[in-house]
Amino acid sequence: MDRVLNQFIVSLRGAGVPVSVSESIDATQALTISGYGNRQVFKSTLAATLAKSVAEKEIFDDCFERFFTFQSPTATLADRQESPEQEQPGDMPIPGIGGMIREGDMGGIALAVRDAARSADLQSIRFFTQRGIFTSRILQAMQLDQLDRVVADLYRQGGGGVATARQLERGRDALIDMVRRFVDEQYEIYARESTERIIERYLWDARLTELEERHYDRMQFLIRKLVKRMNDRYSRRRRRAKRGALDFKRTLRANMHHGGLLFETHWKEKRVNRPDVVILCDVSRSMSTVVRFCLLMLYGLNEVVARIRSFIFCSSLLEVSHVFETSPVAVAIERLRTGEGLDIHMGRTDYGSALWDFTSKHLDAVTGKTTVIILGDARSNYGDPADELLKKIAERCRRLVWLNPETPAMWGTGDSEMRRYMRLCDHVMECSTLRHLEQLVRFLVKIP
Amino acid sequence: MTDENGKFESVEKVSEGFRRAGYICNTDIATTVYLAFHLEKPVLVEGPAGVGKTELAKKAAAFMDVPLIRLQCYEGLDESKALYEWKYGKQLLYTQLLRDKLDQVIDREKDLGESIRTLHRYEDIFFSPQFLEPRPLLQALQKEQGAVLLIDEVDKADEEFEAFLLEILSDFQVSIPEIGTVRAKTRPYVFLTSNSTRELSEALKRRCLHLYIPFPDPDLECQIIRHHVPSIPNRLEKQLVMFIHEVRKLELKKAPSISETIDWARALILLHAGGLDRDLTRKTLNTFLKFEEDIRAVDEKLPLLIDKALKETA
Repeated sequence: MDRVLNQFIVSLRGAGVPVSVSESIDATQALTISGYGNRQVFKSTLAATLAKSVAEKEIFDDCFERFFTFQSPTATLADRQESPEQEQPGDMPIPGIGGMIREGDMGGIALAVRDAARSADLQSIRFFTQRGIFTSRILQAMQLDQLDRVVADLYRQGGGGVATARQLERGRDALIDMVRRFVDEQYEIYARESTERIIERYLWDARLTELEERHYDRMQFLIRKLVKRMNDRYSRRRRRAKRGALDFKRTLRANMHHGGLLFETHWKEKRVNRPDVVILCDVSRSMSTVVRFCLLMLYGLNEVVARIRSFIFCSSLLEVSHVFETSPVAVAIERLRTGEGLDIHMGRTDYGSALWDFTSKHLDAVTGKTTVIILGDARSNYGDPADELLKKIAERCRRLVWLNPETPAMWGTGDSEMRRYMRLCDHVMECSTLRHLEQLVRFLVKIP
Repeated sequence: MTDENGKFESVEKVSEGFRRAGYICNTDIATTVYLAFHLEKPVLVEGPAGVGKTELAKKAAAFMDVPLIRLQCYEGLDESKALYEWKYGKQLLYTQLLRDKLDQVIDREKDLGESIRTLHRYEDIFFSPQFLEPRPLLQALQKEQGAVLLIDEVDKADEEFEAFLLEILSDFQVSIPEIGTVRAKTRPYVFLTSNSTRELSEALKRRCLHLYIPFPDPDLECQIIRHHVPSIPNRLEKQLVMFIHEVRKLELKKAPSISETIDWARALILLHAGGLDRDLTRKTLNTFLKFEEDIRAVDEKLPLLIDKALKETA
């Protein structure tokens, strides 16, 4: 059983549950106590010792059902074998796997496949391109070449042997099929996560503007993960002791019951405040994916960011905070994309008029505590850039951040006004991949 | 702890024993409790609010017939509140009262070095167990007969406190600098609960058995309700549980928990309801929904939900 348990743990790790050595020892001990008699108890035992969070429990359930459900893979082999080739039983014993096929020993074949899989080290399969290699390794371990030789011999002898040879050949084909399917199944068990991981790594550095639609779901999942990590990390930093300064009032109070003797000291703490954010997004077509994921992330960061007011602009500017307040983030973003029920003019992008709209109607949204983020490529179609208006915003706010999805080399080329705008900003960064979004969070929590 | 009465002989016995103590548990819960006892490991219980995480520990204490010691965690909880504290007041009082005695001992005639040396011989008096105020963790270690230690909402405590718990949970001993190491006389049976407001550290999780208690399935919930409200008519019970399950599928701020289902069942019994109907449900929504928006959301879909619940149980 230990070996089976080990394999199961390998498959759990493959699926993304980080099982430590001590936990696998616990599982083994726990099983000696609770026994193998009852499937439900067995499952609960493993769940209690191996999967240690809600997410892991889900993966565990899935893995457990896959792993400990034994579907006899030989069913197809049996069907094909029912041909009436039984007239000459046992004239010549056929060695190895051939004999099992001849006798229809399904259990034996299934066992042989598992044994061969073990000796071929199938549990180390990681990539789907390895499936062919493992299939052939397993077949080799089952001595398929020997079977081929037997078949050839039988043909050469002719007579009654030919029928047997045909039967063996059919059996061999079915066997190959079966092994292939078995490898596929095992690949699903052991390697699902690693393929995911490759895609994930790719997505971290993929340009959001060029992201294919089929990756959207995965990207959202990644962003949720990122957001969770950031929330976890920065929620704790909000209160940090500032060494050196004694909080005299609190110290006195805490030591009152010691008769005024100062046993306990209390130190002044510095609260790291969460920033207020005002974000202005360019929603012209070239920008839509970046805006989508950036907003998805910002609105998730409730531990890092205190309040967000969001505006979108193209030819004109419009506040959309209410959309996010009334519906879940994913729905709200979808509404922005379709522009449903929003009074925005989607003509040529005009940064000048967008800035004018903002400074004339919404400038009170910007205070000394606000971080203003502008997300846009600064391509204003040769219109008036109105950088004096941006200057007005920059003077009012705490920090002005410009996120540009283009690479820095492209800034200032053609109709891009980036060079002109960036002089007024406190921080300018490229924002085209998930990694950049992560850097943005790091920047946001650093309040000067 | 030793299992004298054979209460922990098998998973079924545990399950049966908890049922008698008034806690209906599924196989997951029973198995984990059973394992935790035999492996002497703490259990980390997670799950939505109100599924009976804290209740599990209480009932475990009742089942094992040992005292329950509870430590409620909160931000800023530290050793002096969780483990022990010196009774500073008592120490001061004693020094005041015994001033004369001290004078004698020190003997003003001698020189300073001599006095301090003499004093050194007595200093242990003031840092002895008599002046120690044991807090929940130390109390749990000191209980001769063992105890159930409930560390409630451990996710609310700070990271440092978690690290501090590690020592106690793995060795069941603590070191008090002035006295020495205190070892558990009988290992307490530990439950930690968490509402997953933050991720707990890997190290802590590794040392615990993990138990996730979800909302129960309808059958189990029926059993629980029947246990707590024995006078409930069969028909009402089924309809009520189905209705609650439909409500939990909606996106609410706070889904109704088991305790709220029980409250509602009690309320309906008081109103002499034989089965669910729209009017009565609307009037009693506030017994299991605690937010204005939630009540409004459910109210909107009420006819549909009631129909579904009635159809499922028909």
